[in-house]
Amino acid sequence: MKKGSGIKWNKYLVAGLCMTGLVVLLAVLGIFWTPYSTTTMSAGERFAAPSLQHIFGTDNFGRDIFSRVMKGIGTTILISTLVVAISGAAGILIGALTGYFGGIVDEIVMRIIDALNGFPSILLALVVISVMGTGQRNLVISLGIVFMPSFIRIVRSEFIRLRDADYISRARLMGVGRARILFVHILPNIFSTFWVSVMIGFNNAILAESGMSYLGIGVQPPQASLGKMLSDAQGYLTTAPWYALAPGLTIVWIVLGFSLLSEGIQRLSR
Amino acid sequence: MITIEDLSVNFGRTEAVRHVSLEIPDGEILGVVGESGSGKSVTALTLMGLVSAEATVTSGRILYDDVVLQEAGKPRDKALYRRYQGAQMSMVFQEPMTSLNPTQRVGRQVEEMLRLHSLPAAGAAHGTAQGRVDFQAPIEGRLRLYYSQQERQAMKQLVLETFAAVGLRDPERVYGCYPHQLSGGMRQRVMIAMAIILHPRLIVADEPTTALDVTVQNQIMDLLREINEKQRSAMLFITHDLNLARRICHRIAVMKDGRVVEIGTPEEIIEHPREDYTRNLIEAVPGRMKRQRRSAGISREPVVTVRDLQVYYQDGSNSLFSRGKKNHVVRDAGFEIRKGEILGLVGESGCGKTSLSKAILGMNKEITGEIEHFSSRPQMIFQDPYSSLNPSKTVGWLLEEPLRARGKLDPGQAMTAADMRSAAMEMLETVGLTEGYYDRRPSQLSGGQRQRISIGQALITRPGLVIADEPVSALDVTIQAQIMELMRRLQEEMGLSYLFISHDINVIYQMSDRIMVMKEGKIVEIGETEEVFAHPREEYTRQLLRES
Repeated sequence: MKKGSGIKWNKYLVAGLCMTGLVVLLAVLGIFWTPYSTTTMSAGERFAAPSLQHIFGTDNFGRDIFSRVMKGIGTTILISTLVVAISGAAGILIGALTGYFGGIVDEIVMRIIDALNGFPSILLALVVISVMGTGQRNLVISLGIVFMPSFIRIVRSEFIRLRDADYISRARLMGVGRARILFVHILPNIFSTFWVSVMIGFNNAILAESGMSYLGIGVQPPQASLGKMLSDAQGYLTTAPWYALAPGLTIVWIVLGFSLLSEGIQRLSR
Repeated sequence: MITIEDLSVNFGRTEAVRHVSLEIPDGEILGVVGESGSGKSVTALTLMGLVSAEATVTSGRILYDDVVLQEAGKPRDKALYRRYQGAQMSMVFQEPMTSLNPTQRVGRQVEEMLRLHSLPAAGAAHGTAQGRVDFQAPIEGRLRLYYSQQERQAMKQLVLETFAAVGLRDPERVYGCYPHQLSGGMRQRVMIAMAIILHPRLIVADEPTTALDVTVQNQIMDLLREINEKQRSAMLFITHDLNLARRICHRIAVMKDGRVVEIGTPEEIIEHPREDYTRNLIEAVPGRMKRQRRSAGISREPVVTVRDLQVYYQDGSNSLFSRGKKNHVVRDAGFEIRKGEILGLVGESGCGKTSLSKAILGMNKEITGEIEHFSSRPQMIFQDPYSSLNPSKTVGWLLEEPLRARGKLDPGQAMTAADMRSAAMEMLETVGLTEGYYDRRPSQLSGGQRQRISIGQALITRPGLVIADEPVSALDVTIQAQIMELMRRLQEEMGLSYLFISHDINVIYQMSDRIMVMKEGKIVEIGETEEVFAHPREEYTRQLLRES
């Protein structure tokens, strides 16, 4: 998927790229600069409604919500990306091997995954966190583990589908090595399916991170994350609705943007 | 009478059908013959109101007697169509496996026709051959929730009788079967039962026998003719095979690029074709008359010898705790393929042809016996040009990959990237394509072009033996002739041996030096082509020869 090499633009791709582009831009900008400090409190400006000074208003400590959203996007996206990267990479490796070779290892891995799927994912992440302790790194690891099974299953089923394809039989006849068959001959063909699951996984990771932070076992204060902000805002829903709306709508925006992007990319590879 | 007047159908900017006019009087079988992409299926689907939503009718109209079913510039009247689909006009599709619902018993599926359109009137249960079932749609095609015991019995009775009428033995058993429990031929009979149960005036059959074996094909053709004679229903018979069309049609229309180029009785079309295109179609059909040559330079030395080969396959239920049951698919196979010869292998589907070839290639582990190779890595050409090329690669990459793989296995034969590139370019020329194809992807190629690439990929390492498993069966007749010609030329130039597998005995006749006939896992006859055709020793071979 090189840019400029005859990409057929479609409206999903354009809309998705615009939406996610804006979000990423804000997040990157947020690393270096925010309109206001995200931690400095100011008692005089508590619950200021959205205005030209504070376009998203201020929170219960008088902090600028827009600045915190910028930081929060960064945290949330970073965590989600790492989670998807870990679980996606493990999914490809384990899914490819179990799917292609099958046999007893496949059976065992699948039963473990069934067992993992038996628990609600947040509960499972809770268990991992409670063993390893809170913190951003442990949050990433625990969500990574929770997200792994779905990737393994998807990659595995694609490998099972393709391992008996004529062109793979043919590669075997040529004497192509196993590793090359797995990762050069088969892997590119599962790209579109895998990409969709990465995008869905990414969205779920954002929601899971927000959920975990909302429960107080994710990102710790005073660091900003979208989920953490939501949980902080819930007590002031009636008095300062903008406090909850800003991070909430941002999550919707990100998830929608990525969904559109994934749809666009999917159409691209058709 | 059903009339298609000046019909044009577009998909976006592509014109699929251009100004086609056809009349189908009651009781007539009209054949529509053409290559894939000639617009014959789109015409039929438009007539049936089944064409996809992207298609637009840009000119003309379709009449059922004097009811306008469809007209240019007007949206399709779905409610109107629903009254005609199934009851007055029905369709038999090419692939009976995908056109039946795999989760429902077939009897139930056929019965649904009755539930949707009309319940058998009293006495109609005995009227399979006479008279039309009254056309009384239950509340505008909606399914009723409750049927009385009598109604249910009457419906079942009618289904069973229709099953018997389409030649299904033991209708009672078939009634309770799921599609996967039936053979291809039986499934097609079920589809036909579904199409005729309401005695429609028109049956559209879109390549109804293409997915079937020759013997079954003949039975289905006979059945279609019989139905036409008994029920006096008109039939639109769509096929790419002029020979088939000749056998049952009263008139034949030849289509090319969305137009009807010629229409007439079979005699007119076949004996005195007016168009070059029709002439090409007739000549491309493989026949007995056309064998020109034998391979020169067949040596006594074998490229492979097979002795006492048994092939098994495991039943699907291979799980952690139980191994599947072993099934014998090839028994006591013993033969050799000589250097420079084409050995034709013929037999019906399921006779073990593919299992045998996979065993020779070492792709099947469940074998006993002895296979001895005297040449390097045999290669294979597959039937389906769409699934045998990796869709994510370019043509150049595909042609070079065998060379890369060989280089890895044997560093002595490793080639530089530039050498491989020029070898690939050369191979493109050899298989009749140009260097411009190097950067294309399989999805940008036609079926024939893909099969050429496929052949190039098999031959680029200069193997001694190539196994070709139905290499032309998925192609149009004219393309088929070209590919067979190409395979012959390459065989001569490179001194190859082929094991050429086909269910089509005419194709085998044209290609092979020797013929091997397989039945139910056994090689029943093997010998020189002329010899086998002139004096078949086995009854089964005789039957195969008769039926094609």
